[in-house]
Parts: sequence; structure tokens; C-alpha cells
Amino acid sequence: MTAAALPRLELPSVYGSPVRLDELLAGGVAVVVFVTEECPTCAMTLLRLAAPAGDLAAAGISVTAIFEDPLEVAARSARGTGFRGTVLSEPEPYELSRLLQLQSVPTTLLFDAEGSLLRRVVGWDREGLDALLGQASALAGAPAVLVTGEHPQRKPGCAAKNTYDPETLAILNAAGPHDELEDMFERGWSDGLPVIPPTRERVEAMLGGRDPSLSLGEVPPAMGEATLERVASCAVLAGCRPEYFPVVVAAVQAALEPAFNLNGQAVTTQPAGQLVILNGPARHSLGLNSSIGALGPGSRANLTIGRALRLLISLTGGGFPGKLDRATLGHAGKIGFCMAENEEVSPWEPLSVQRGFEPGTSVVTVVGCDAPLSISDHRSATPEELARVLAAAAAATWSPNWWPLGGASLFVICPEHAQLFGEAGWSKQRLREEMFEAAQRPAGELRWGETTPLVHAAPDDRPISKWCSVEDILVVVAGGEAGRYSAVFGPCLGMQTEIVSKEV
Amino acid sequence: MDYVSPFDERRRAIEPLAPRRKPLREATVALLDISKRRGDEFLDRIEARLRAQGAQTFRLTKEIFSRPAGPEIIRRIADRGDLAVEGLAD
Repeated sequence: MTAAALPRLELPSVYGSPVRLDELLAGGVAVVVFVTEECPTCAMTLLRLAAPAGDLAAAGISVTAIFEDPLEVAARSARGTGFRGTVLSEPEPYELSRLLQLQSVPTTLLFDAEGSLLRRVVGWDREGLDALLGQASALAGAPAVLVTGEHPQRKPGCAAKNTYDPETLAILNAAGPHDELEDMFERGWSDGLPVIPPTRERVEAMLGGRDPSLSLGEVPPAMGEATLERVASCAVLAGCRPEYFPVVVAAVQAALEPAFNLNGQAVTTQPAGQLVILNGPARHSLGLNSSIGALGPGSRANLTIGRALRLLISLTGGGFPGKLDRATLGHAGKIGFCMAENEEVSPWEPLSVQRGFEPGTSVVTVVGCDAPLSISDHRSATPEELARVLAAAAAATWSPNWWPLGGASLFVICPEHAQLFGEAGWSKQRLREEMFEAAQRPAGELRWGETTPLVHAAPDDRPISKWCSVEDILVVVAGGEAGRYSAVFGPCLGMQTEIVSKEV
Repeated sequence: MDYVSPFDERRRAIEPLAPRRKPLREATVALLDISKRRGDEFLDRIEARLRAQGAQTFRLTKEIFSRPAGPEIIRRIADRGDLAVEGLAD
């Protein structure tokens, strides 16, 4: 037994939050292996520890790889070997390695629950590692595990970096290839697309002098705190210009309102994402597109504002697909979805005014919703016909037999369709009422497959509406002036989620 | 390079695992229905099996599945229950 002990230091982790070393002892014992990317023996050791590390983790014993390399290098290297334990990065000047008197890597250490060092294996030493893992299993009362692979029995490693002289370290650090964009992926600071690295200079420019520590609240589902600095980091990652930041902040404030129930939306198996709708003069001053391709690609402001909110939910909030976000399919709008209402061609008051804000005010509205369903109609000659077509499309959302929805439907009416309604003198309210009336069916026609308790309980001839009330129908106008394609967004249901608006 | 992390890097205390205590026949088990469809059917079956093994049971229901359990429900589980079973998903 050696007298050394696990110091109470904190090291950066590839999973975001740093890890305090004594936390590794929560399972009763801890196995820690020091490695570097450059050392082939280290790679072999991690490769052969991958399977037993998984077994030990299942028994509550942590197996941790500490790389004497930067975080992004550690993440890449660990992934390459299939190692699935905890992965930490020890920065220069390698204080931990010095305290533990490392001479070479790989060095594998076993600590007991008090952090006392029980065993040390230097280099690849198959028998030594089997004995170390056996002792760890025995102490934790878990089944014994062994390293994988037959040969070699022993293989020396490389010098640990804490033993390097400063001149050699400087040369090595300068020589390594560095790709900042790839590093962002390695850190997990991405939604799967390339991001803008959030350097301190860029984040400060995004903040524009605002207090970086100001908190907007906790972001579900993991309840990470949305400080303005982290919101700004997400806005930089997303590609926002600093002038977009007030809209991003307002969208975050709206999404964090309890009534929005982001917690439910962030973890659901439903495909729902968070749509941001912008009204008011900020649409023009920031260059949002509300015209041709209003729901599609092409506009930096639209795409990056929506993406900033989604990155905050995925990274700060931990709602990352496959982790806490359990969406069965998801949809492309979950990368980020922000649209602006085309108020100038609309015959009606903007959504923001309908929701109680003064005309001329910039307002964001957040809606939890599914992907848009396009509604093509080039032939309807009367507003009644067109309203029926729009309502019939909405009737297919969520599920064709789920009546009433019990949630809101958002219609994006294209300018040509809006013009037909406007020229007929229809108000927005009239359109909502006509669509409500058009989307009704006898209960008997809906009673197959999955349907609602209301339909099951109703007599065959009782009319059932697609919506519980007219208030569940939202209407905005957007799109290019040519073309008769409107859209309806499927809802996010069962979450008690409300639509929330905030002034910018 | 000095980057600003989007992650919340606050330290959070690790809660130790509760002690594994009584045998099931002496335990009181909280059965939490999160208000997902058919969750009650699942818990009915679990409850019958637990009782057959001598356990005491009591039932609680969340108002809605998509929000965290409120402090009152958590308090009642902690006050009466030796362990809890939650019926997730549908």
C-alpha cells in the first residue's frame, strides 16, 4: 500500500461540468488511469479497459481516464478507444500528476473510499491490472472483471508530462495541429452543425455591457442556470450578431415562464420544438425575413435566433437528443425555428397586438409545436372553401382521430390566401370561427384506432370539434406574395403548455 | 484559447444513496402514478405483487406527468415510504 491519497482537486470534464476528484469515490472505490493521446500504450490500455470499465460502472464503481491533454483532445482520444468511463483533462502544470508522483503514463491507480491509494500499476501490465480490477470489485462487492486482450503481458508507456522540462513542453504544445471548429464538436458545444467558437471577446461583444452574471432562471430539464453570459455564449455558438441579442434574451425569458412548461417539452417523446415568432419593428432593424421562404433557410437572423434558444435548452439545460431529450423522431425545426410575421401584407392585426401589446412594439412569442404541414390551395374561390381546406389540414395534425386536440394550432397564412380573406371582409376572428365550425365530425366516424375518451363516450351522431375552443386557433401571416401555400403547425399536447409573449 | 462555456458548471453536491434497508415484507412502498395513460394499470399489478410479498403500499398521483412532482408529494413519499415505484410512460 502506498501513502499517497487522491487530492481534492477539480478537473475539467468532457461532459461539461468539472469533476471534483473526491466525487469519484462515491461508489466506495475509484479506478483512475492517467494517459496522454501521444502514447500508444495509453491507447491500448484504454481500449482494453473499455469493457471492464462498463461492467464496473454498472456496479457503481467509477473508472476515470485523466488525460494530460486539452479537453477536446481527451474527448477525441477516449471516443476513439471506445472508453466510456469518466474522461477528465489535466491542464498544465499537471499539479495532480506531480502530487501523485507520476513518472510515466499509463499509470493506473486504485483508491479506497477515503481516497487512500491502494494500488499502482505502471505501464501496460496485464496481471497487475487484473489484480487491481479484482481488488476494486471485491471492495465494492461486485463481480470480478478482467482486462481484455491476450498479448502483450507487459508494455512500457511514455514519460508523464509532469516530468517534462518547460522548454520541451512548449515545443510540443506549439507543434500540435489545432482546428478550433473541430474542437467545438469535441467539447460537445454543438447541435450537430458547426458553431462559432464562443471566445471571451465574442461573448463580451454579444453582451454589449450587460451584466454577465444576471440570471434569467434555470433551464429545464437539467436546470442549468441561464446567466446572461451563458445565453450570450449560446448566441455566439448559434451565429447571432450582437444586435440580435435582445430578441434572444426575450425569447429565453418567454420560454422559461412556468406557463410554457419547457420541462415537459424538453424531455418528451413528441417531436415538439420551440418556435419563436417576432412581431414589430425589430423584424426590419435586425433583417428578419417574413417574406419569400419565411419558414425556410436563407436568413441569418431567423435561423440563428431560433438556434440560440435551442442551444441553450440542449446545452445549458441538458435537453440534448438521446440524453434527456427523448423525442422519438424530432424534426429539423428543433435545430432552431424563428419566423417573423409579414405584418405589411396582412389584412389583420399582428399576433402581438392580438395578444395585448401596443402596435409598433417588438414582441417575441414562443410556441411549443410540431413541424409545419404545408397546405396547398390554388383553386378555392371563396373564403368559405379555403377555410374548410385549412381546417381539414389541421384536422390531420397530431393524429387524424384525436379530436379535440386539447391544444393550440398555429396557422401561417400566406399573403395570397390572406388577401382572399381580406377582400371578402373576413376578420381574423371570422376565419378562426369558420375553421372551428368546419373541423367537426360525428363521433362515430372517429371511433377507430386511437381516439379520445370524449369520442368513445359520445353517441355516434354527436359532432366533435378538432379544437376545444376558437381560442385554440392562432393565425399569423407570412410568406412571399406569390404562391398559395399556407401551413399549420401540429401541437405539443399533454404538457399544459401555454403560448407566451414577451416584449423585446 | 479562452472560451465561455454554455454549460452550467456550478458544483452540485452528490446525494449519497439511501441505505438499502428492510426486507420487502417489512417495507412500505409508495406507488407514484404520474398521470400517464395506463400508468394506474401498471401500478395495480405492481401493487398486487408487492402485497403478495407482504409489503404495505400507498398510492400518490401527480397532477400532470410533464411537470416535476410537487414538494407535498415528495414529502409524503419521504415521510411514509421506505421505497418508491413510479409508473413512467405509456
